[in-house]
Amino acid sequence: MALPDAASMMLAAAVGLVVIGFAGLMMSRHLYRLLLSLVIAEAGANLLLVMAGYRADAIAPIFTADASMPIGMVDPIPQAMVLTAIVIGVGVQALALAMIIRIRNHYGTLDMMELKARMQDEFAQLGQSATLPSKQEQTDAQ
Amino acid sequence: MLQFFPLLFSAGLLFLLTIVTGLLPFAQAPMLAGQGVLYDGIASTGAANLVTAVVLGYRGIDTLMELTILFAAAAAGSLAFSRVRRSAGLIAEPPYILDKAIGFLLPLLLVTGFYVILHGHLTPGGGFQGGVLLASAIFLPVLSRSSAQLNHEVISLIEGLAGVTFIVIGLLALYQQGAFLQPLFDHGVFGSLLSAGSLPVLYLAVGLKVGAELAGLLSTLAAEGGEDGTA
Amino acid sequence: MLNDQVVVLIAVPLLLAFFLPVMARRCKLTNVIAPAVLIAMIAVAVSFLFAFEKPFIVELGGFAAPLGIIFYIDQLSLWMLLLIPVMTLLLWPWQSLYQGSDRGRELALYMIMVAACSGLAMSGDLFNLYVFYELLAVASFGLVISSDKGMAYLAGYRYLLISAMGSVMALLGIAIIYFLTGTLTLAHLASLPDQLSNPPAAMAFVLILLGFGVKAEMFPVNAWVPEVYQATKTRVAALLAGLVSKLAVIIILKVVTLVMPAAQMYSLLLMLGLAGLIIGELSALRANTLIQTLSWSSIGQLGLVFIAFSVDSQVGLMAGIALMLHHLLVKPALFLIVENWSGSISGLTGFAKKSPLASILFVLFALSLLGVPPFPGFWAKYLLLNGLLEADGGLYQFAVFAVLAMTVVEAIYLFRIITTLYDMDAAVSKPVVATAWTNRLSILILATGLLAAVWQISPLADALAGVAAQMQDTSAIIQLVAGKQGALQ
Repeated sequence: MALPDAASMMLAAAVGLVVIGFAGLMMSRHLYRLLLSLVIAEAGANLLLVMAGYRADAIAPIFTADASMPIGMVDPIPQAMVLTAIVIGVGVQALALAMIIRIRNHYGTLDMMELKARMQDEFAQLGQSATLPSKQEQTDAQ
Repeated sequence: MLQFFPLLFSAGLLFLLTIVTGLLPFAQAPMLAGQGVLYDGIASTGAANLVTAVVLGYRGIDTLMELTILFAAAAAGSLAFSRVRRSAGLIAEPPYILDKAIGFLLPLLLVTGFYVILHGHLTPGGGFQGGVLLASAIFLPVLSRSSAQLNHEVISLIEGLAGVTFIVIGLLALYQQGAFLQPLFDHGVFGSLLSAGSLPVLYLAVGLKVGAELAGLLSTLAAEGGEDGTA
Repeated sequence: MLNDQVVVLIAVPLLLAFFLPVMARRCKLTNVIAPAVLIAMIAVAVSFLFAFEKPFIVELGGFAAPLGIIFYIDQLSLWMLLLIPVMTLLLWPWQSLYQGSDRGRELALYMIMVAACSGLAMSGDLFNLYVFYELLAVASFGLVISSDKGMAYLAGYRYLLISAMGSVMALLGIAIIYFLTGTLTLAHLASLPDQLSNPPAAMAFVLILLGFGVKAEMFPVNAWVPEVYQATKTRVAALLAGLVSKLAVIIILKVVTLVMPAAQMYSLLLMLGLAGLIIGELSALRANTLIQTLSWSSIGQLGLVFIAFSVDSQVGLMAGIALMLHHLLVKPALFLIVENWSGSISGLTGFAKKSPLASILFVLFALSLLGVPPFPGFWAKYLLLNGLLEADGGLYQFAVFAVLAMTVVEAIYLFRIITTLYDMDAAVSKPVVATAWTNRLSILILATGLLAAVWQISPLADALAGVAAQMQDTSAIIQLVAGKQGALQ
């Protein structure tokens, strides 16, 4: 069986990364692993997007001394889009890390199942308290 | 062990995505918009790197929003740790090799970072890539020396000023030429460093902002401890 | 040109946001300057509302579509550009936990949210919508964690995961559409139906729907809603439920009407809307606290909005926009009223004795939410039922029954709350906390708005019909953009 060419393999890689990422998102219990699965899925989506501009036997869209004809260059727009998407991903991941650190400090665990149970308990407690919110919480709430 | 329904869902997703990407016209990009950029890019912006022409020219507002996303993430990250007392410094005793290696790498990183930023309109690279290099240059001393602390005030100042510069150039274009973020200034000699009008200036602002922001964010995340005194 | 200056509604809040952390450290004016900028934005939005009747286009950077990004601004966009700073000002955090440059960062996040919402209202380019949506997402994460409670971080993290998963899906959808067409301008995509009527395009549309549906509290990606609304400050929940969700709905509306107005897509929208409506209202019935009730009710109301938009006619569009704007008015008011009414509902017996004004206002907004005449909520639901009855298809008939049934459910839990409040025999079990005057002012302004809508219902209906007609006229939109197109196709 002939090997598929490199470009088609990259499409398969993109799809594979996305599926691995989503599988990880659904199956992981550790907060950090969830974040890593997200990173993998985003990488796959970015790879798929950047290949939208691919043309066979075309060169990079940069004018140098050798390349001065616009014919035969790949589409520059997906590359710009992916640049933006990668940076957006980095921002979101950094914020997620900050949140994970605070969650760990507050709850002492990084297991999603346990954390979810504790959060539901806290909500249930909110629903039962006959006491008033303290003055501090009241000013906090505004 | 591995749960059934997520696996089933993933298998289904794999199947669907494979079929869909198989049906896509791969390597025959329709290029309805891309063709126009290839033909018109130099005339409109004067940049040799057409990706930069798209990033800063045709889709300049996307870049501005991307910068703002980083800014918002860094701001929210700082906010998350503002009411927590944290200890300064990372390493009690800086390892000798780390210290010397960083001293060696630091100028190299700075030069490479600025090179990538300033040549963004001529070669692959640009503000974001160079900015990340700058961020690592700024942050590395924190890793090696426990006494080194980033001055967060200066970082906020650089962040703010660079962002403001970007928007001010855009507003200047609005009032001079009539469209927000329209490429300004003379296009200069094609292929030289001082070409492409306002694009290198914009990329410089982007690079400085990204560098300062990421370094500040890394430093905030890296600080030790955290006595959580909140509810 | 006057047109291009619309962009200042994005540029100026961002300019302020970049300055705020630095400024807040030294200058005492920061508490004043941000609301002042918002008031200025309101003035600018009002002037644009009167200046422009017909839709117009702004070419960013002077580049014509499809090479560059265009903003397509119609009547609905102009209304949203006015409502965004107004709602933000009404829900402004006058007091906060933070001082100094951290307070500046918190306010910067609000200004960034305003800029992102304004961009979403205006943008006419698919990837630009994605970028503004991400900006809104990051700003909202920051707002959620600004209440600095442990559960806020946890709920915020779960919200981040769902939102980022949605973003990956949306990006996949955008990639597929770009593979098929090579362009990103919505109006341009509307003129390419041939390239978009194949299975990959259908999958791309579903991915985009689910991706942008996270903020629009669409089923099945709305698991974050009850958690986040309970965990964070009530004011932030009000902003998310009232303002942010509407902008996400507008994106979905733009994509549905322009890119893929196919029958199957409308059916999908209908099914998702029905699921949201039924699950939301039934869960609200079982809710224990007021905030829980309002969160689930929010999901239910947005399900109604999707049901309305799934009817492919002018009446459907009118009903959807009416429901949307009505919810934008009523839900933040309800959140503000219940801000200090924490604890279980049964613990609120007899509250009406101690806070009569708040209780009356609660009744007012609840009646409008329910759809009691003569409130605007009634007219919105009436339009919806009209549209559903006119549409043919078994599912639409079922939707009529579902909407009516869920209205009954809503009535049950809302009246349960009201009777608890007005239970004159029981002793008031807990002392009442006084609300700040800023809260009261905001609630009163919103109440005035509601009553004004009751009084002016007829002109409002005409204006709505005009807005819906503009949105439906796809060929006019394509013409407008094609007329400004560059040297291409």
